Amino acid sequence: MIGFLRLMVFWSVFAAVAYWSLLIYSRSVRREALEKQWDADPPDGSTDDMRRDFIEQGMAAYEGSLRRKLLWGVIVLPFIAIGTLLYLVNYA
Amino acid sequence: MRYVKWAFWAMILTIFGSFLHYTLPQHDVVRIVGTYQERQDLTDWTSMFWSQPDDQSGTLANRDVQFIQSVRPNGRPMVYRNEDTGWRWPPYFKFDTASLQTEADDLKSNAEVPKWAVITHYGWRNELISIFPNAVGIRPVEGPDVTIIPWFNIFFFVFLGLVFLLLWRMWAQFRERAIDPVLTDAGEVWDSVDARADAARDRAKGFFGRINAWLATWRR
Repeated sequence: MIGFLRLMVFWSVFAAVAYWSLLIYSRSVRREALEKQWDADPPDGSTDDMRRDFIEQGMAAYEGSLRRKLLWGVIVLPFIAIGTLLYLVNYA
Repeated sequence: MRYVKWAFWAMILTIFGSFLHYTLPQHDVVRIVGTYQERQDLTDWTSMFWSQPDDQSGTLANRDVQFIQSVRPNGRPMVYRNEDTGWRWPPYFKFDTASLQTEADDLKSNAEVPKWAVITHYGWRNELISIFPNAVGIRPVEGPDVTIIPWFNIFFFVFLGLVFLLLWRMWAQFRERAIDPVLTDAGEVWDSVDARADAARDRAKGFFGRINAWLATWRR
């Protein structure tokens, strides 16, 4: 039982680090894409404020997107993997 | 210096490769000839090649371990230990040691009427320091020349490659977005310091020019 708890503690720490670094990476990629999208074809008379608003709106949309939610897979999938391994090794 | 670098990377690769070779599952086609149980002393450094199947076993000086004796198609013997890995490393989550021993007993055969089986295991056999690979699965097969596709290892190495690719992309993105702009700023500051120094030197021509230039350093 202690072994199980230790696995869970180690895993939580690892998963938290993996989740946050992936989240930062994913946000950064999205922001860069938005910047490039604006810079490639800026509307006439565009200002820095308009550019900032466009990017912030895009980031707000990203926070609600499916892609953002899929990052939770980093935390969920390993549990599925452990369950599958447990079944295959001991019961299959 | 170049050889030191090579030696360093060769060492890292060897350690990482040995680690994977020890930990990842491998398949042997064997004929089971027997099983036994033997008390093992587990207090010296080789204890790292044995499992700690339950919480008490970390503090025990010795305990019983089950073994599976087998003969490979080339006639050479191979002995596996059969221990739970539990929730510990390596992450096989094996709890069915007793069932596996029973299956192994069920598949026992002799050279005259051989029954072949594939044993999935991890670990190394070394006679000198008495270490044994740990059997994690066993299944009967038709003959000694079956083809075994290591699905898990294929999947694992593809996954590992993707993880390395992702880590590399993450690092590249971090450098591009967080480090390079800072370096560019620092470069611009440096250039402007440089330009101001040049301008100061240009003004500092002649005696009065030099005094003016010196005074100018107090103004800003």
